[in-house]
Amino acid sequence: MTTARPVLDLRGVTRTLPSGDSPLTILHAVDLVIQPGEFVAILGPSGSGKSTLLGIMAGLDRPSAGEVYLDGEPLHSLSEDALALVRRRKLGFVFQSFQLLPNLTAKENVLLPIELSGVRDPGARATALLAAVGLGARGHHYPVQLSGGEQQRVALARAFASEPPLLLADEPTGNLDSTNGTAVMTLLEELRARHGTTFVLVTHDPALAARAERQIHLRDGRVERDELRASRPGLRSA
Amino acid sequence: MTFGLLLRQIVRDLRGQGARLVFFLVCLGTGVGAVVAVAGFSRGLENGIRDRARQLLAADAAISSLRKLTPTLENTVAGLPKDVEVARTFELVTMITAGSSTAAAGEAMLVELKALEGRYPFYGTITLAPERPLTELLTKDTAVVAPEVLSRLGLRVGEDLAIGGERFRIAATIAAEPDRIGGTFTLGPRIFVTKEGLDRTSLESFGSRVVRKTLFKLPPAGTREDLERLVATLKAASNGVLEYRIETYAESQANLRDGIARVDKYLGLVALLSLLVGGVGIAQTVRAWLAGRLDSLAVLACLGFRPREVLALFLSETLLLALAGSLAGAAFGTAVLGVLPLFLGDLVPAGWVSAWQPAGVLRGVLLGLALAAVFSLPTLLAAGRVPPARVLRRDTEPLPLSRLSISVVLTLLFAGVFGTALVQARSALLALQFTLALLAVALLLAGVAALLLNGLARIPRERLSYRLRHPLAALAHPGSGTLGSIVALGIGVLVVLTLALVERSLSSQLRSDLPKDAPTLFLIDVQPDQWAGAEKELRAAGATRIDSVPVVMARLKALDGQPVEKLAEGAKENKQWTLTREQRLTYVDKLADDNEIVAGQALGAHGATAKTLFVKPDVAELSLERDFAKDLGAKVGSVLTFDVQGVPLDLTVTSIRAVNWKTFGINFFFVVEPGVLEDAPQTRLAAARVPPEREDALRSALARSFPNVTLVPVREVLEKIAALLGRLGGAVRFLGGFTVLAGVVILAGAVGATSSRRGREVALLKTIGLSRASVSGIFAAEYALVGLVAAGIAIVSAVTLSHAIAVEVFDLPPAGTAGPVLVAALSTVFVAVAAGLLASLGALRRRPIEALRSE
Ligand SMILES: Nc1ncnc2c1ncn2[C@@H]1O[C@H](COP(=O)(O)OP(=O)(O)OP(=O)(O)O)[C@@H](O)[C@H]1O
Ligand SMILES: [Mg+2]
Repeated sequence: MTTARPVLDLRGVTRTLPSGDSPLTILHAVDLVIQPGEFVAILGPSGSGKSTLLGIMAGLDRPSAGEVYLDGEPLHSLSEDALALVRRRKLGFVFQSFQLLPNLTAKENVLLPIELSGVRDPGARATALLAAVGLGARGHHYPVQLSGGEQQRVALARAFASEPPLLLADEPTGNLDSTNGTAVMTLLEELRARHGTTFVLVTHDPALAARAERQIHLRDGRVERDELRASRPGLRSA
Repeated sequence: MTFGLLLRQIVRDLRGQGARLVFFLVCLGTGVGAVVAVAGFSRGLENGIRDRARQLLAADAAISSLRKLTPTLENTVAGLPKDVEVARTFELVTMITAGSSTAAAGEAMLVELKALEGRYPFYGTITLAPERPLTELLTKDTAVVAPEVLSRLGLRVGEDLAIGGERFRIAATIAAEPDRIGGTFTLGPRIFVTKEGLDRTSLESFGSRVVRKTLFKLPPAGTREDLERLVATLKAASNGVLEYRIETYAESQANLRDGIARVDKYLGLVALLSLLVGGVGIAQTVRAWLAGRLDSLAVLACLGFRPREVLALFLSETLLLALAGSLAGAAFGTAVLGVLPLFLGDLVPAGWVSAWQPAGVLRGVLLGLALAAVFSLPTLLAAGRVPPARVLRRDTEPLPLSRLSISVVLTLLFAGVFGTALVQARSALLALQFTLALLAVALLLAGVAALLLNGLARIPRERLSYRLRHPLAALAHPGSGTLGSIVALGIGVLVVLTLALVERSLSSQLRSDLPKDAPTLFLIDVQPDQWAGAEKELRAAGATRIDSVPVVMARLKALDGQPVEKLAEGAKENKQWTLTREQRLTYVDKLADDNEIVAGQALGAHGATAKTLFVKPDVAELSLERDFAKDLGAKVGSVLTFDVQGVPLDLTVTSIRAVNWKTFGINFFFVVEPGVLEDAPQTRLAAARVPPEREDALRSALARSFPNVTLVPVREVLEKIAALLGRLGGAVRFLGGFTVLAGVVILAGAVGATSSRRGREVALLKTIGLSRASVSGIFAAEYALVGLVAAGIAIVSAVTLSHAIAVEVFDLPPAGTAGPVLVAALSTVFVAVAAGLLASLGALRRRPIEALRSE
């Protein structure tokens, strides 16, 4: 279909947890390939293993068995240090609980990944990103001084700050009311389109998932269904 | 991560940590302050002595001895180059009386007399009032006296006093004396006369103990080499006889310096203790700090910080804080040095110790940094292991430290404590003892506290009023940080209370009523032909239990043919002195009952008679005191050779005695078989019990009839020692107070660390309708419980420990403890409540909504 290297390539990823006598298996030999530019939603009921899978894709967690390649990097065999460097260069995150650093102002939160990647004039870029999420005037505020929706918008700006090829989001609207949720989601799609970012969205909300081109349904730690829905955007075929 | 980013991130991170930063700084600063104060004090005192070494000796070099110089030495001194100046001083303790024409005629007192010959002092000056030169005022008929002499005898300058029965006119009072250090123990105030004046009296010839010093001053151009050459010449002339102590100003005051080194050692450890107690606070603060930041740590990991970068970030932050805390502590310690003289009184001459002591500051700051690293590293290492997946699941706890890293951490902690103790004590053994003892105490405190908390947790709370239920629950709540506070506060209270109790039993022993039949005074230097008259005066003053023995002064020359100089070689200065000083020998028909024979003839006898003790017809026998025998290395059968004022005498040890010195009776190291010493030059030593109200009259009567006889009042001497001890003890307790301070800070820190929990608690309590006062009451009860538990454990341990020290180390009966214990308990509880409430003030004041929002 395409010769491009997949952004994510999961082969037989299994995750077990010790629990009592017999280990508990949360993921059962999941195989999954995600190509550059795709917008993938991972769906499933609570406890089906969505967050666990996302953690493994991000190298935040290690599979008990199987292999994970992120842009060609074998995450399953990298050291903690190497994983950190991969995240630094290739990944952006958005979480349900925002996860801004409370000691840092909004702007400093956005600045941090830019500084870490060694870009010149990080200040200008942070300002531009904050403006893009509509918070240009709130940069000096601390997270506690912002509303939930505002915090999540700062988190979006931070996620795109280092221009990562892959963006992972876990229930990004889960803590927001529907108006705010829709606004954040729209913003997220805009930014993703502008930056050409591959996007994996975890949600149990079918309405949100409907915005994606591809839906992967998880149940009890297995891929139940993997369906393509809309036409491919241009980026994919480029 | 670039260095710039690291720095920026540190600054951003520390911002808004206000209260926690302050706690960290205070925890560390308290201990560093104590270390700096002690190190600076001893260093300052040492410097003070070094800077004034010439003044303290009043010369460049000196020969000190109890005997007159040997003819060889005398010739050598006479043959020294003309430009080497020589002066002499003669010091003795004697009685003086107010002159017959004065209001207080005949009243007597004990003084330390110093007779001067030549241009004394070579360095420093004796300041007099009226302010005139000593040479002008002091003639063979005058004396200058310490002001105390005037006030005690009701005399004025210009009036007369009698020394050894001779009249001296008081020419001036002494305002300052160069070679007398305040706070050292003295039997009486100082009086100066000339040597000619002393010669008018016959004191010197009555066998009094006279300390003779020959002082030397090089010409102004004299070099270090000249001084060394002079000393070498003198040493050669002294023929290696140790009783002639020849020293330069640079090596003088050895005892004083030894004393300072010892004080530096032990007080240094007490100071270190407060630093270590502060370390508990540091560990707690860092732990609480990181606990509140686990989410942030996970986020940093998601953003691509490597574990070691996270460690570097937090370690740098900690060290930066540690540096700030240590510097603040150094400033604090320097300030303490500034006010320390207030606590020391005249123990240390004013102006000797300057507050700015760079060496002490350096030591404090380095120890502070080292301990901050040691105490925070375990927690920081755990921070590097926070799983980043925490951003996805809140309950993902940091990995428990592996067994390996736990043992690494424990080793580090042990090494840290031992290493810092080594720096302070400069003795591996002492440092090890300190470390092990501290470890044992901390474990004990923690163990008992854990048991108690566990017990408190089990108290059925349902039936209690919420006022008690809540504090109990708060204490029992796991992770409340209470255990650390209790251990820290407990160690502080334990240290101070133990110091106070030991000091108390020491001084109460000194002040306690002497044994019923103990003498209240001694008469020394009684000439044999004076004894009958002196005894009559004693009886006239209502004396009971009069006892007197002959005293023969002699010098130990050899043990079993080994010259005593050989034995003393390489021994500690103290022991050298024990062996080479002038010894007092006696002979009696019957030993006092407090003498028990522990080896040799008449084994096991208490108060043996000469008949049963000395049975060998062919040798002159000697009964030796046990401790002296041990020091000397003599056994039954050893032969001791004495020089009895020029006549050699061999004595064979046929028994060894244990003496109970606490009876204050007359006792001797050397008791010689009767029939050996009768013809030797001798004096008598007498002891008696005299009613206190008749002591002054007796003193005056004796001074009139026997001016050379010195009366030493036992009670007064013991009082003086107790007072000196009290002042030293005050200084030590002052330092020990730092450990309590550190403990209090830690309690406050632990309370402050849980302030967000506190805040939510307050918010909830207020929401259900409690007033701020009732919430404060509930909190106060909680902190009172913490204080009570800490005080309880500390008091039990301190009483046990101080009893052990009193009985085992000082051989004292334990003193009453009720007073200090009560004070300790009440003040601990008070301080705990005050610190706890103060630390919760923020939480109490905040509006409930703020606390709930920051959740
Ligand atoms: N650290 C853990 N310890 C114990 N169980 C875990 C852990 N992590 C995940 N699980 C279990 O694994 C299963 C999958 O968890 P996961 O968080 O991936 O579900 P999810 O699909 O994200 O659910 P939700 O929609 O509720 O967020 C759940 O049953 C969960 O309880
Ligand atoms: Mg989830």
